[in-house]
Amino acid sequence: MTETVSAPAPEGSEPSAETPTVVWDGIARGYVPTEPLPVPASVRLHTTAVDDVDPVTFEVVRYSLMNINLEHGQTLQRLCVSPVTMITRDFQPSILTADADVVFLGPYLQYFSNAQSLTIKWILENRAEDPGIAPGDMYVSNDPFVGTPHQPDTIVAAPVFIGDEIFCWVSNVLHHSDVGGSVMGSFCVDATDMFLDPPAFPPFKLVDQGRIRPDIEQMFLRQSRVPRNVHMDLRAAISANLVAAEKITALLKRYGADTVKAVMNRVLDSGEKTVAERLARIPDGTWSHRMYAEAAHTGDNATYVYRMTVRKEGEHLYVDNRGTDSQTGSINVTYAGFVGAFLSALTASLASDLAGAYGGVYRRVHFDLVPGTLSCADFPAAVSPSGIYTMETLISLAGTVIGQMLACAEPEIARLAIGPAHPAFYAMISGGTTADGTPFIATNANNMIGSLAASPAEDGVDFGGHFWIPEGTASNVEELELLWPMLYLYRRAMPGGADGAGRHRGGRGFLEAAIPWGAPGLAAAVYVDESFPKVVGARGANPGSVGHFRLKHGSDVHRSFEAGKIPQDFDTISGTQAAIEAKGPALMVAEDAVWEWTGANATGFGDPLTREPERVAVDVAAGSLPAEAAERVYGVVLTGTGTTDVAADSAATDVRRRDLLAARLAAASAPGLVRTAPADARLHLLGGELALAEFNGARHFVSVTGRAVLGPVTGNYKDGCAVLERPVRDLAPEYATHKARAGYAVRHREYLCPVTGLRIETEILRDGDEPLHDIALAPTKES
Amino acid sequence: MYYIGVDIGGTFTDCVLVDRSGHHRAAKTLSTKHDPALGVLTGLERLAEAEGIDLPTLLRRTSRFGHGTTIGTNAVLERAGARVGLVATAGHGDALSIMRGSGRVAGRPIEDVFAVHGSRLPAPIVVRGAVLEVHERIDASGAVVVALDAARAVEDIKRLIAEHRLDSIAIALLWSFVNSDHEKALAEALAIAAPDIFVSSSVLVSPRLGEYERTVATVMNGYVGPACSRYLGGLAERLGESGLSEPLLVMQSNGGVLPAEAAATTWLGTVDSGPAGGLTGVASLARAFGHDRVVATDMGGTSFDIGLVVDGKPVMADDNVIDQYTYRIPRLAVKTIACGGGTLARFDEATGGLRVGPRSAGSEPGPACYGGGGTEPTVTDADVVLGFLRPEAFLDGRMPLDRDAATHAMARLAKQLGLSVEETASGILEINNMRAATAIRQQTLERGHDPRDYVLYAYGGAGPVHAFGYAAESGVREVVIPLGNGASTLSAYGIASGDVVLYKQLERSLLAPFEGARADALAMAVAEVETTARADLAAAGFGSDDVVIEVDALMRFREQLMHSLEIPVPLPADPDTGARLLDGFDTEYVRRYGVGGTALFQAVEVFAFRARASVAAGIPTPQAEARDAMPAQRTDVYWPGWGWTPTDVHRGSPHSTVPGPALIELAHTTIAVPPGASLSTGSRNELRLRLASPKES
Repeated sequence: MTETVSAPAPEGSEPSAETPTVVWDGIARGYVPTEPLPVPASVRLHTTAVDDVDPVTFEVVRYSLMNINLEHGQTLQRLCVSPVTMITRDFQPSILTADADVVFLGPYLQYFSNAQSLTIKWILENRAEDPGIAPGDMYVSNDPFVGTPHQPDTIVAAPVFIGDEIFCWVSNVLHHSDVGGSVMGSFCVDATDMFLDPPAFPPFKLVDQGRIRPDIEQMFLRQSRVPRNVHMDLRAAISANLVAAEKITALLKRYGADTVKAVMNRVLDSGEKTVAERLARIPDGTWSHRMYAEAAHTGDNATYVYRMTVRKEGEHLYVDNRGTDSQTGSINVTYAGFVGAFLSALTASLASDLAGAYGGVYRRVHFDLVPGTLSCADFPAAVSPSGIYTMETLISLAGTVIGQMLACAEPEIARLAIGPAHPAFYAMISGGTTADGTPFIATNANNMIGSLAASPAEDGVDFGGHFWIPEGTASNVEELELLWPMLYLYRRAMPGGADGAGRHRGGRGFLEAAIPWGAPGLAAAVYVDESFPKVVGARGANPGSVGHFRLKHGSDVHRSFEAGKIPQDFDTISGTQAAIEAKGPALMVAEDAVWEWTGANATGFGDPLTREPERVAVDVAAGSLPAEAAERVYGVVLTGTGTTDVAADSAATDVRRRDLLAARLAAASAPGLVRTAPADARLHLLGGELALAEFNGARHFVSVTGRAVLGPVTGNYKDGCAVLERPVRDLAPEYATHKARAGYAVRHREYLCPVTGLRIETEILRDGDEPLHDIALAPTKES
Repeated sequence: MYYIGVDIGGTFTDCVLVDRSGHHRAAKTLSTKHDPALGVLTGLERLAEAEGIDLPTLLRRTSRFGHGTTIGTNAVLERAGARVGLVATAGHGDALSIMRGSGRVAGRPIEDVFAVHGSRLPAPIVVRGAVLEVHERIDASGAVVVALDAARAVEDIKRLIAEHRLDSIAIALLWSFVNSDHEKALAEALAIAAPDIFVSSSVLVSPRLGEYERTVATVMNGYVGPACSRYLGGLAERLGESGLSEPLLVMQSNGGVLPAEAAATTWLGTVDSGPAGGLTGVASLARAFGHDRVVATDMGGTSFDIGLVVDGKPVMADDNVIDQYTYRIPRLAVKTIACGGGTLARFDEATGGLRVGPRSAGSEPGPACYGGGGTEPTVTDADVVLGFLRPEAFLDGRMPLDRDAATHAMARLAKQLGLSVEETASGILEINNMRAATAIRQQTLERGHDPRDYVLYAYGGAGPVHAFGYAAESGVREVVIPLGNGASTLSAYGIASGDVVLYKQLERSLLAPFEGARADALAMAVAEVETTARADLAAAGFGSDDVVIEVDALMRFREQLMHSLEIPVPLPADPDTGARLLDGFDTEYVRRYGVGGTALFQAVEVFAFRARASVAAGIPTPQAEARDAMPAQRTDVYWPGWGWTPTDVHRGSPHSTVPGPALIELAHTTIAVPPGASLSTGSRNELRLRLASPKES
């Protein structure tokens, strides 16, 4: 049996399993605003706009608005004190219309795209009458059911008035170091529901007509383990909003509210027009993908599935999450999280040239989500760890689905695919007290180093950051050692290998190791240790890395120091290795302990056995790939040994690759009768070895090199492939895991061209899950 | 006695001479890239000829010879530098290639930051594989964690040099700026073991927190060093042979000059020193004119550089980005945006708007009116269409412009926009001015200043013709075109007028309140940075009583790692210094961010000190030059808001006040005086443009 791509239910229909009393109100269920927004009469919105703005005035006002928002971001960055905010750029300023549609977003964290919009719409609906919205007010909220991805991401929103009407909103959301909950840093992996999560505050008025309410401010700070930092950052958010609001007021005075409003409207309309034109160049169809998480909470060892399906019809996208597991543990997000994740991947690939003017793009995307699930959870699901787990999983998932969709488009649009993101934000949060007794929480966000996946056209970028947080930056080791009592033994590039290999390889990530320094020890509260790779490589590439956290007690690091050596290889450090669980409990790290954790190599594109041998040799010469991996992973036979004389032996490589392909087919289950496409049938390439060909009056999936017919475009091309399946841990030593871990049972399936043995696509799947039907197109081009 | 300043640019080499009484003379010659010294000598010969003397006499009579070079900048941009290898602390040799994960976007225009497509890391600076990790370690407090075995490390470095055929070694160890023992020991041992190798040490080049930026600085220094040494050594020798007895002074990006020998420790200081020359010239003139707050604007063919002078001193920056590599070094804060004469205008189909920039037609094909094959309209084409630039008079008639080509290009765009040709051209200028003014406002408001309190200096080929527009847009009322026609060689003038300057930095974290032992520590740190700056300048040959030392404390709220305010330290430091610094910090913080931004609950810290040791150049103030009166001509100019208006054209600086509308055509630029404004020649050759009614800023 094959899981099929089902058409989503008609808009507005309630999923059958739900009781009719639960509504999308931001209280029991994630908030979904209705159109038009029911704003009480007690608040007046400015709606008038001039009919026409000349092209010059338009540009002057557009440029001014864009700069006001950029300056808003720069102010935040200067005034905040939390490294996670000021260096990582885990924040986002926005300008929104009177009824809270996004006009401009800054180059900071992109999945905050809709958080401010949802929160402000909720405020308009629910707070306008009481306590009211007046000039000089600012509202604050960190409620995931209203709009934020998780509780540390706190929104401060300020209305900008013209007379007695709200002209627009300026707003920011920024990640606070700690807002309470069971785990230091507020990623509460042990939470089984929201009552163990940090408190979530629905929108409350913190600034009342220009005056900060001290009682309410203190209430908000009281929840935090580091109230001083949160206080600084909260004040920064208020100041930055104030500055932005003043600048907009000056702009209104100079050009007139109706003119500025016309410009905002046109920015939105033109963004919509741009994306609509691009969508028109993609064939109608449905694309689907799924990803897995391990452990829903501390002590759990099960595997869970997230599914995302995009249907493109005309110039609109319809997105659903059918097939996602029911909400459980702490690996959930609300409606706001799912939407933010999808939109960040969509704008980065399809509309990045709009440079943050994304509100119009959002109008073309329609969400129809099944509530009560991991990716659209109802109250009281726990969501606080989503900032390092579920949000990244969903962005990655969206990147893959969007990449699949773009692969079917005209070449100019197909080129915009950027591949999946990392499936998690590899990070470590630790805490304790410094030598002088001051408590600290160390949020290590070095994973901003990141790495970008390969695109259909080129290798990914080593240490290329993340597409969903373009300006993000990692700390210097010296900054970390200055702030917190630790000493870093090393922070280096991860070696290339099987993980991330492909025709185009993924970018390389980093790994680092450290010890407590100047403190008797500390606690590792949050760490990421996976037992199987989560991201499938595109079009037959290998999976990405498995992120690891390792800890040794009673190490000989200090003795090595005395002997004049800084240990550089975790395996050679003596000591007792601690057993690590996915989403495990806080681990005590004594003075003589040492830890290591990794980022990840991003995924590649295409079968590694099709990578140009010379490029493999260049990687070896550059130190990006160990020489042994050239043949093991890529089937490339090298000559020469030193970095200066390494070269690929093309004849020997041809032989080796032929053998490897033959061995694949020998081990695979064949699809039955194999037909090939007529010689005169022209191929429409879909990336890698997959293509479309039209013959006998219908369109078919075919393989590129072998020209094997894989089936009709309405069907699943995988049915026509040879299939090679094994535990993912057997694919390469890079994916090895312990038999007690969830990943031990996870499988890897390769769909091969039955003629050549080249990979067409691969899957990672939970034992027992059916093959995925990931592409369905109309039977003929015209239809 | 003469002051000479020489500035080598991409196209022209400018030589400027100022004599004892402040008379000023300039020569523009074509740059000679294969042997830059050749262009320099040609320019100097021209100056000598104009003075009626020969070159050796000119050079013998020269008391100060300043030189600005792009050798280092070009070496980086063209990847033509030395074969440099890196020595790092074990475990941290990859910091340079990891680039903190932001190497893909660092320094790129905002429009490009959102796009992953096509964005890559820059090409490496270090020879591939030539990184050696040494087992040594110092911690944040400066304590030695793992001792250095220098002898062994030097043997390893020698092998690295041989294997990769290196001619330059950069040493950048963790925490070297707190405890420099390991780095110094290695550098000294290496100097003996491999005397031909150019050695850069991070604690000398950039002694600041942050191993990535410090490593970039050290490696860049090692990359440009050998080429700079060769060129400047050679030039000094040729000038010496021709009669120059004074040391060759080299322009630094910090706005000062240093004798070539002293500059050799940190050749990195010459990288991106181009814009510093102009700003230094402005600062020197602003002092003479009594202007306390100046926004200096240099608009050229592709870029618009903005710098500020506050309280008579150019505003400093802490870091620089070159080709996506970020490093920290004290330098004049010059903000550059893509906004110049060659900036392209286009129709934005999605919005129906008129977009100007950031793309530029560059020098090839250049604006349509240059006749070099450009077909898209630029800002300069708009100037021609509206009559601001008269085709026959451009660059003194040496480069006639093609008005028809400009009009054609404009007409195509106008049709798309549904506007007339004039409205389109005028719109391009309006948008270009707004982009320039936005950048000006960002610079001033970021410091809590109102741009209306500033005088704007305009120079560069495209500055004076547009200054009336972007000055008004940013709210400035008074515009100065310094040195009249000398505005086009202002950079060379700045190089001639630059003080001898040496900066010392000291990273030292000191937490308020500054009482008791903390007050002592503060005073000691100030004394330390002051003493080393003085000693280093003495070692460079300037040990006289003329040396002036100024110290700034870099301050912030504790843990505000991305923020820094410079607060001047009153010297000599005493027990009250700390209290005064805190007052200064509070005042500055409130001025910039408002009362709501202050955070009395967070401790304030000083995290670094910066000492500036200088010897004033003492360049004579400019003197009025004799001018020939030329009868005014008439032309039609399309003034924004006024339409086509008959406009007087004056050739050369006018004798009396000229009411707008008028154009003043100088050899290398044109000054536009709009209706309602007036222009007069000042007592020091400067032209002063007074604008009528400032717009709301």
